[in-house]
Amino acid sequence: MDLQVFKQRILPVQGRLFRLAQLFLRNREEAEDALQDVLLRLWTNRQQLDAYHSVEALAVQMTKNLCLDRLKAHTKRKATDDTALLGIATEEVSPYRQVELTDSNELIRQLMDDLPDQQKLVLHLRDVEEYSFEEIEQVTGLSINNIRVILSRARQRIRDNYLKVNDYESGH
Amino acid sequence: MNQDIEKLLEKYYEGETSLQEEKQLRQFFQQESIPEHLQSHAAQFRYFASARTQHPSIAFTNQLANKLSAPEPGRIISLTSWSLRLAASVALLILGFSAGLVYTRWQSGSTGTVASSTDEQSALAMKKVLMFEHLPKTSASERIQAVNQSYDLTQVDQEITQLLINTLNFDANVNVRLAACQALIRFENEPDVREALIQSLKIQTDPNIQITLIDALVAIKEKRAVEEIQRLVQDKQVLDVVRQKAEEGINQLTREGNTPS
Repeated sequence: MDLQVFKQRILPVQGRLFRLAQLFLRNREEAEDALQDVLLRLWTNRQQLDAYHSVEALAVQMTKNLCLDRLKAHTKRKATDDTALLGIATEEVSPYRQVELTDSNELIRQLMDDLPDQQKLVLHLRDVEEYSFEEIEQVTGLSINNIRVILSRARQRIRDNYLKVNDYESGH
Repeated sequence: MNQDIEKLLEKYYEGETSLQEEKQLRQFFQQESIPEHLQSHAAQFRYFASARTQHPSIAFTNQLANKLSAPEPGRIISLTSWSLRLAASVALLILGFSAGLVYTRWQSGSTGTVASSTDEQSALAMKKVLMFEHLPKTSASERIQAVNQSYDLTQVDQEITQLLINTLNFDANVNVRLAACQALIRFENEPDVREALIQSLKIQTDPNIQITLIDALVAIKEKRAVEEIQRLVQDKQVLDVVRQKAEEGINQLTREGNTPS
């Protein structure tokens, strides 16, 4: 696999990989860093890539694993960073709560953050990246029924939590 | 329409919608006016739609493209498979052995030629100096040195002995002739040399050389020289010392010839 083929097959996927990394890492720079890591690894192992059924599924898997590893490695640092960030975010955001669009996006993002990793991943792949169940199966290794259940739970949980926050606010 | 959306939403939360239906939902919630009772669903669909527009920055993609293309030339030779590595190592081993073999062979060959070439060189240098035509140009000491070079030679050819004989007979300087005479004694086994030594007795007039020749001929027990030495004894012009030496020589040669019997 030479550079040309690699560019044709891998680079179109990099937007997806980037969004996935951002989903887990919640930070643009770190997501780009992780993405670069994944792409360079794919590049150095390009000889073996042809053996894989779907390079995209492999890339998504690698990205997910890399991000989770990084999260684990930086748990402590992350935790402190996040609380600081959240504190600032709520302070800054609350005056704009009425400005619907960007604000509700931010809220949903936070709600997705709170989901367990598996629900987060499945929901992201389905509703953001528009993956078919078969494609999600390839990436996660879960059965299609399982995926449906997880997806349903994730969607409902987002909605429930969203309603909770809104009720709390309207009640205020 | 709204009822459709409600049905779709129900299916959506059950995880039963198709990709097509989900797309329809996202599109529906993208529009400006959304019925009040559906308003609360809008946020997540809008989030999904907007999240999809996120892309890595252009700076990042450029940087990545550089990284991908930069190390390319260095990576062309990468021994990835085991068989290739094995083949390379075996090839290297064979190369090393054969190189060693060739080197030792070449070295032994060259030492042989070096030895013979020094031989040849000194012989050549000698010939150059002793050449008869060069006689006026060279000094006596140079010629003696050239004669002495013959001691370095392990084997001689006829050309060199002939050259020495010529020197013995015709060199202008006594000392050179003497040196040539002594050098020739070393090659006593050559029949030419023996003959030349005998003939030289006729030519030589210097007593020193005459004595040396007589000594030499006695030493190598050359009986054929008796006649010539006899002639010296009878020659009145020859110095008394030489004649005496010649007589002694004849006695020795003839006695030695008789005593064994």
